[in-house]
Amino acid sequence: MRNGPALVGAVCIAIFVTAAVLAPYIAPYDPTIGVLADGKHGPSLAHLMGTDLLGRDEFTRVLYGARISLVVGVVAVIIGLTFGCVVGAIAGGAGGKVDAVLMRVTDVLLAVPGILLAIGIVAWLGHGQVQIMLAVGISYAPIFARLLRGTLLSLREADFATAARAEGATPARVLLRHLMPNALTPLIVQATLALATAIIDVAGLGFLGLGPGDPRVAEWGEMLTDSARFLQSAPYLIFFPGAAIVLSAIGFNLLGDGLREAIDPRLKR
Amino acid sequence: MLLSVRDLIVRFRTHDGTVYAVNGVSFDLEEGETLGLVGESGSGKSVTNLAVMRLLPQPAGHIENGQVLFNAEDLAKLPEASMRELRGRDIAMIFQDPMTSLNPVLTIEEQMVETIQAHRRVSSADARARAIELLGMVGIAEPAGRLRNYPHQFSGGMRQRVMIAMALALEPQLLIADEPTTALDVTIQAQVLELLQRLTKERRTAVILITHDLGVVAGMTGRINVMYAGFIVEAATTVELFAKPRHPYTVGLLHSIPRVDAGPEEALIPIEGVPPDLRVEPVGCPFAPRCAWRLDRCWTENPSLGPLEPGITVRTSGPEATHRVACWNPPTADEAAAGAPQRPGVVAAEPPEAARGSATDPDGKRLAASPEPGRGR
Amino acid sequence: MLRFIVRRVIGAIPVLFGLSIILFLFLRLLPGDPAEAILGQHATPELTAQIRTTLGLDQPLYVQYVNYLVRLLHGDFGSSFVDGKSVADTFIVRFPGTIELTVGALIFAVGLGIPLGRLAARHPNGWVDGIVTVVSLFGISIPIFVLGYTLVFVFGVQLHWLPALGQSDPRLGIPQVTHFAIIDALLTGRPNAIIDSFSHLILPSIALGSIPLAIVTRITRASVIDVANEDYVRTARAKGLTERRVDDRHIMRNAWLPVATVIGLQVGGLLAGAVLTETVFSWNGVGSWVVSAIQNHDYIVVQSLILIFATIFLVVNLIVDISYAFLNPRIRYS
Repeated sequence: MRNGPALVGAVCIAIFVTAAVLAPYIAPYDPTIGVLADGKHGPSLAHLMGTDLLGRDEFTRVLYGARISLVVGVVAVIIGLTFGCVVGAIAGGAGGKVDAVLMRVTDVLLAVPGILLAIGIVAWLGHGQVQIMLAVGISYAPIFARLLRGTLLSLREADFATAARAEGATPARVLLRHLMPNALTPLIVQATLALATAIIDVAGLGFLGLGPGDPRVAEWGEMLTDSARFLQSAPYLIFFPGAAIVLSAIGFNLLGDGLREAIDPRLKR
Repeated sequence: MLLSVRDLIVRFRTHDGTVYAVNGVSFDLEEGETLGLVGESGSGKSVTNLAVMRLLPQPAGHIENGQVLFNAEDLAKLPEASMRELRGRDIAMIFQDPMTSLNPVLTIEEQMVETIQAHRRVSSADARARAIELLGMVGIAEPAGRLRNYPHQFSGGMRQRVMIAMALALEPQLLIADEPTTALDVTIQAQVLELLQRLTKERRTAVILITHDLGVVAGMTGRINVMYAGFIVEAATTVELFAKPRHPYTVGLLHSIPRVDAGPEEALIPIEGVPPDLRVEPVGCPFAPRCAWRLDRCWTENPSLGPLEPGITVRTSGPEATHRVACWNPPTADEAAAGAPQRPGVVAAEPPEAARGSATDPDGKRLAASPEPGRGR
Repeated sequence: MLRFIVRRVIGAIPVLFGLSIILFLFLRLLPGDPAEAILGQHATPELTAQIRTTLGLDQPLYVQYVNYLVRLLHGDFGSSFVDGKSVADTFIVRFPGTIELTVGALIFAVGLGIPLGRLAARHPNGWVDGIVTVVSLFGISIPIFVLGYTLVFVFGVQLHWLPALGQSDPRLGIPQVTHFAIIDALLTGRPNAIIDSFSHLILPSIALGSIPLAIVTRITRASVIDVANEDYVRTARAKGLTERRVDDRHIMRNAWLPVATVIGLQVGGLLAGAVLTETVFSWNGVGSWVVSAIQNHDYIVVQSLILIFATIFLVVNLIVDISYAFLNPRIRYS
């Protein structure tokens, strides 16, 4: 494909996913066990990214952190997509009163800006990996719902939909066979971009102390919080997890942008 | 001679390669003359005039070669600052869609006053007065009040009148009208065209009227140039062109129009094939793949625009303009009337092996070897 | 126009209602008993019973809700369980800090974003555009806290150019009058205090404003490119106007609209981002308050703060909507 940036994005994602999947096999050490005496050492041959306060190998922890980010991120986006698409499809397909009511509900959810919604949900549900997935996922659902509904509404008036109706197709059939396939493409783009945001949001929650909560588990955001006090003495403890987050996010953002360009021919670069 | 375009070549640089939009166009225009430029989309009629105004989309479009002599000054070589002075003041242009051609966030007053003040040192009050005068001239009721309106508050026909008013504000010598009525309802079309004709005649403004609609040029113009694939294929006075078309494309155009007075057996004779892909450098006559009169040499040599009989003095402008055609084998009068070749032995020549590239439609498929002879009689 | 405004305002009310219901239920629907949740580790049977009565948790739900609403409308957002102070009081002390941060970030994002976007749009796909695109990409890919720490490290720790934490240097002893660090500093009239308060604002503003900067840059670029291709820009050139005039009056005037809308919408994101930024920079604002409240199980505070944040967000969106209608003649005169 001509699209250079998208290719770079794909490479970043590949690195991220490989790290996540192969972590148990390629990590040189155990992420939970550390040798105190080796603690807080900078990058060296033995420890590529240094060691944290408890002597655990940072490189290993970064690799394992990728697993959490990947799993939680992907599941969160899937949850958001599922809820969002159901609501959006009903609203966009049915129109009228149903649409109005459903949109009011999404308005309420959207009234709480950004990560605050996820924070609120985590506050309600408590700590834990599942809770984070739900929280982040639900905070994305309204966006997907809005997007799908909007696309469906504008597609409904398109000529090909009118033609289908003129041939006698039922509203459900029109929705499923004609409208949805065309409405999927912006969703795919948005989902890819949402993965980038999910990785950041999950790390953000971890950073605020709302993460999985298990101190043995390596989560990038939590690693940052733990090491914040050592900004002066051990900056690498912040740099490496931070760079990992940025790299993954860049990957999905580039891919999402690339997809958007490939899909929308009218888009001018 | 007010305007003299000589061998104008315009190319576009795009992702997909070069687009050969205008490939050697020459025409003249006298003061006060109305010239029609007729052709389909992609014929190069709009691009030619954008090139005259030096308004080609940047950075893709550029004038590769040729001269545009306006009052003997070559516009193609003029510095931008001088060109800017010319635009609006000496040459004005109106465009197809008046809704999108007017700035939606500025009032009509602001848009008209800025036109005037761009070229004349007048006070805002004077400019405003002139704007009111102009609006009245194009037939807008209560012009003073309407100045404060925004474009979306006018109807389509009125918007085009406003565009005409703005274009004629500084009494330009040349007005280029690019499909001025295509976006309007038929009844409004007639009004706007009539207005255009009256105002330009009163002011002795030369007009280039660009359109794909033969009906529009019929009543408005003194001369017509027919364009195809970036070339002028026929040039004649309007009367001559309609009465005695001589280029196979023009013949085809005239026969494609359903006529009210046609008999029940007279079928429409469509022109077979599709317009050529402008991304391919033209070789030979551009119309050859679709031409029922083509000869072998049509595939390889592009005929230049010349008079019907050799040797006579050629007049390129004015009411006595010579009828010129770019064709190796122009239809006879009877064939033109019938819409198909009638002389015995005239069969469309097969493309030579070397010219196969230009004998394909944009999808790369080979066109039919020869179009079917006209079905009418 | 007035009808438009009224309709919009009326439309926002049900949303606020819905939110208040959800937040009201938030406390009541906590896993487990709400009173115990609030007390956390300190739960004893007597205290639990006491809390329950104090908070009226023993009454039927709808009664509780009505009481809740009534209190809200009187400005009573409850009290913090941690320090007993009313939410409203602490809010007044802490909110100015968040406002300063938000304003600083907005100025950074808009002041840099719009010129960058215009610059990039001038030569699409040129090298300037390329650099701007890369910068935007990083803007949305670097989390606030990562950027925050990086900035502190580079400018605070290594270069010692800018202060790292807090809103002002406590050693300067600036009296807290309005709780706006900058205004309070201005009130003292001491130049070093004023400079100090501004310098404390710089890094956090950059960190918080990084995402809006990227977004504003992108939307400005896209908008200018779109408008530059419009027919009326061609008409303007055909009239012989100077490029400067075409740019200002025809391109930018139209390119503004979507940009202004996006800027307005960014305010919500800034409020959310303030939570992270204030944590990184130890800023004493509402954002860090939310975090500590959650960590301390101070649920009443959390509930009230979320409601306030949402209300602010809705009001800002409302203003954006109305301004857009005002700026766009097509909507204003229809």
